Amino acid sequence: MKKFMPYVLCLLVALLLLGCSGKTEEPKEEPTAQAPEETVETNEAGNSHTTISVTDMSGREITLTEPVTRIVALTASDCEILYALGAGDALVGRGEYCDWPKEVTEVPSVQSGADTNIEQIIALNPQVLLMSTMAQTEEQIAALENAGIRVVVSDAQDIEGVYEAISLIGALMGRSTEAEALVSEMQSTFTEIQSASGDSKTVYFEVSPLEYGLWAAGSNTFMDEIAQMLHLTNIFADVSGWGEVSEEQVIQRAPDYIVTIAMYFGEGPTPEEEIASRSGWENIPAIQEGRILNLQNNELSRPGPRLAEGAQMLFDFVYGEDAV
Amino acid sequence: MLEVQNLTVRFGSLTIVDNISFSLAPGQWLMVVGPNGAGKTTIISAISRAVPYTGQVLFEGRDIRHQKTRELAQCMGVLSQNHYVGYGFTVEEVIRLGRYAHAPGLLGGKQHAGEALVAQAIAKTGMEPYLKQSVLTLSGGELQRTFLAQLFAQDPRLLILDEPTNHLDLVYQKQVFQLVQEWLRQPGRAVISVVHDLSLARAYGTHAILMQKGRIVSAGATQEVMTPDNLNAVYAMDVFDWMQRLYGQWAPGEGEGTL
Amino acid sequence: MKKRTEGFGPVEYALFTAVTLAVLLLCICVGSVMLPLKETVAVLWNALTGADNEAYALAANILLPVRLPRVLCVALVGACLSLCGAAMQGLLKNPLADGTTLGVSSGASLGAVLAIAFGFSLPGFPLGGTMVLAISFAFVSLLLILSLAYRLDSSLSTNTIILIGVIFSMFASSISSLVITFAGDKVKTITFWTMGSLQGSSYENALLLLGALTLFGGILLWHARELNAFAVGEDNARSIGVDVRRVKLTVLIAISVLIGVCVSVSGTIGFVGLVTPHMLRSITGPNHRRLLPAALFGGACFLLLSDLLARTLLGPRELPLGVITSFVGSLVFIYIFCKARTR
Repeated sequence: MKKFMPYVLCLLVALLLLGCSGKTEEPKEEPTAQAPEETVETNEAGNSHTTISVTDMSGREITLTEPVTRIVALTASDCEILYALGAGDALVGRGEYCDWPKEVTEVPSVQSGADTNIEQIIALNPQVLLMSTMAQTEEQIAALENAGIRVVVSDAQDIEGVYEAISLIGALMGRSTEAEALVSEMQSTFTEIQSASGDSKTVYFEVSPLEYGLWAAGSNTFMDEIAQMLHLTNIFADVSGWGEVSEEQVIQRAPDYIVTIAMYFGEGPTPEEEIASRSGWENIPAIQEGRILNLQNNELSRPGPRLAEGAQMLFDFVYGEDAV
Repeated sequence: MLEVQNLTVRFGSLTIVDNISFSLAPGQWLMVVGPNGAGKTTIISAISRAVPYTGQVLFEGRDIRHQKTRELAQCMGVLSQNHYVGYGFTVEEVIRLGRYAHAPGLLGGKQHAGEALVAQAIAKTGMEPYLKQSVLTLSGGELQRTFLAQLFAQDPRLLILDEPTNHLDLVYQKQVFQLVQEWLRQPGRAVISVVHDLSLARAYGTHAILMQKGRIVSAGATQEVMTPDNLNAVYAMDVFDWMQRLYGQWAPGEGEGTL
Repeated sequence: MKKRTEGFGPVEYALFTAVTLAVLLLCICVGSVMLPLKETVAVLWNALTGADNEAYALAANILLPVRLPRVLCVALVGACLSLCGAAMQGLLKNPLADGTTLGVSSGASLGAVLAIAFGFSLPGFPLGGTMVLAISFAFVSLLLILSLAYRLDSSLSTNTIILIGVIFSMFASSISSLVITFAGDKVKTITFWTMGSLQGSSYENALLLLGALTLFGGILLWHARELNAFAVGEDNARSIGVDVRRVKLTVLIAISVLIGVCVSVSGTIGFVGLVTPHMLRSITGPNHRRLLPAALFGGACFLLLSDLLARTLLGPRELPLGVITSFVGSLVFIYIFCKARTR
């Protein structure tokens, strides 16, 4: 028996570890960004001189003497916000995965995420680097600051955070008015669809197709937040974040609607057709009624201004175009 | 029985065995002797097709190059100097593998003649008490006897021994050599072996070839080959004087040769 | 002397089959969604007799198209991988040899990734392109690893071969990553797949695995005596009349095909071929007449139980199967390595 003790111990530790990885991290306590301040000083010559002081979403204070004209944004959502505010021209570099709107792909790309390349960024000579907190280290930030590049962190975890990111970026670019307009436009869209949403149905968000293991969006995701807005129940609300789920569970939980974000490459069946053809899924209401929506342009998976668009598409899909 | 003609083995630009020829008839025990690096073991590797060679090796008139491995194994078997067995097979399992050449395939190895030979091989080598034991637990001598039993079960006509008792103590040395001598008494059998111990070579060999630097210095009956002059020349020392001094202290008067 | 066969008798085979069937049944009855045993049995019975399953629509929709094919595929993949591991360990006289440790699985994955990235496919055969490339890459990897190992150390000692396997494995994975980086979004999903998953298995997959196992697993089983000879020693094998080159080539091809088919169906599931043969060898002994059939059944049971854990441990979530097998496998690997060192 003694011989087996090490194994038993190892197994226990393993089970514990696996068990822990199942739970997700508690939603991070986000330092609330203070409202950006803009101080307008008028000097003697009558030229207006603006000092911009913002607190970014990691709680760091950044002061700039003038609105930013050269900026690098690493995350796709920040690029989208910049364009939505009409500040796309100031973008001199983008993260490699930024793909919306189309014009952004003409901007020089830099490696982002875990492979963030400081040299590439410095070479573009921006005034500000916009990035999320996920992959960058203290050393990388220090290196950038030493090169005279101000680092601003935007890291939205929910829709409230997206508003915050928009007004933060608006302040940086000297486009606070546009930012306010964008936020209130999004807010009104959300309010509108929320009030028009009716009965409670269930929805299943698929983020990776069956062939590669079924992955679903659970709670604490933008998809889940918007589903709640539309009075839809996410069938995997008991899974936190994105996770691989069992096919059997989808069949048992029988969602009324299925939303997939699978890419379609123009060969073979479309993602909708593929889902509808899965064996064993025939009795799922969503399949029987043909209620499968493909949002393949990241409308609901990216913390940007198009969340409202995505929410509207989901609303139209669930309640019909004429409901609002 | 075995005819070796113009055998040459090269490793790259190095010639290990240089154009040698000899032959072996039934009933003979050919000892290949010579100092280290003379190419003794390489000859044996060539005959058992483990290394590429030029020249010809004929077994009963047929070129061994064109024979199937299995057919060749029915003719000749090899006992090498040491064995490292990877897994804990039982002694019996290792011995029974000797029947492979006569009955290959999954279901082979169970005919009557084969069973008799296996039983005989086990009895001769005295391995009965060890049959169910794992080969990993055997001493060097027991392991060598196990493989000798496998070789007897294989029932070849030519036995090839490569320094079979290199690491063994005297008791096992004697056992192995006497078992082989007994085996040789059956009709149509021959043995070829590489032996370092000159006394053993002289005591058991009927014939010998003396080698130096890949060439044959002398070949023929053991007594004619292993003369003081030949040996002294090849080993560059007074071999007989040394032997006399070594063995003389144990048995004054009577030298080596009677075992 | 009494005659005794080295292989198993019919009673033992009946026992193995019974145990495997019992495990199979357990894995069919237990799953992510708990179905009442009565319904499970009824659905299976109705399906077998061709009767209607209308009364148990949900159970039928979960069991027949989803759970049953998956469980069958898991059992077959387990049997294939375990059989390959046992054969490789005998052929190379090395208890640590396995598709994973030698880098064959990584090689096969690379083939599959290339097939997906460059859209290589056989018309009329949905999985054909991936499979052909996976098999050929598995075989080329084996040849490369072994010839390199022979060149460095002709005795093929444990350390050399494992070292080369690990290095090759890294090499193949790095090329896979490179391909994935350049192939864009299309192949990014592959990273999920390289973890090893049997979600979405179909009856066609099971049939394919069964075919490969019957043919090439049969070849391996047929070579049990030759493998015994190799496990005793390659020189000894040559001496007793084994055609060393031919047998080696045949066995390596059979192993490559089996690993290639498994990788293209299920992705890389590590260490199955290491764990089961090792555990079984202490019961059956090293004789391949017993070890190979035992590995066949044992591998199926081991992977079935691992998959059961993967499916049920975390509630509605699934764990990648490769995570569980690699975890157990690494521990066993360390154990064997230490034991081999201290001997």
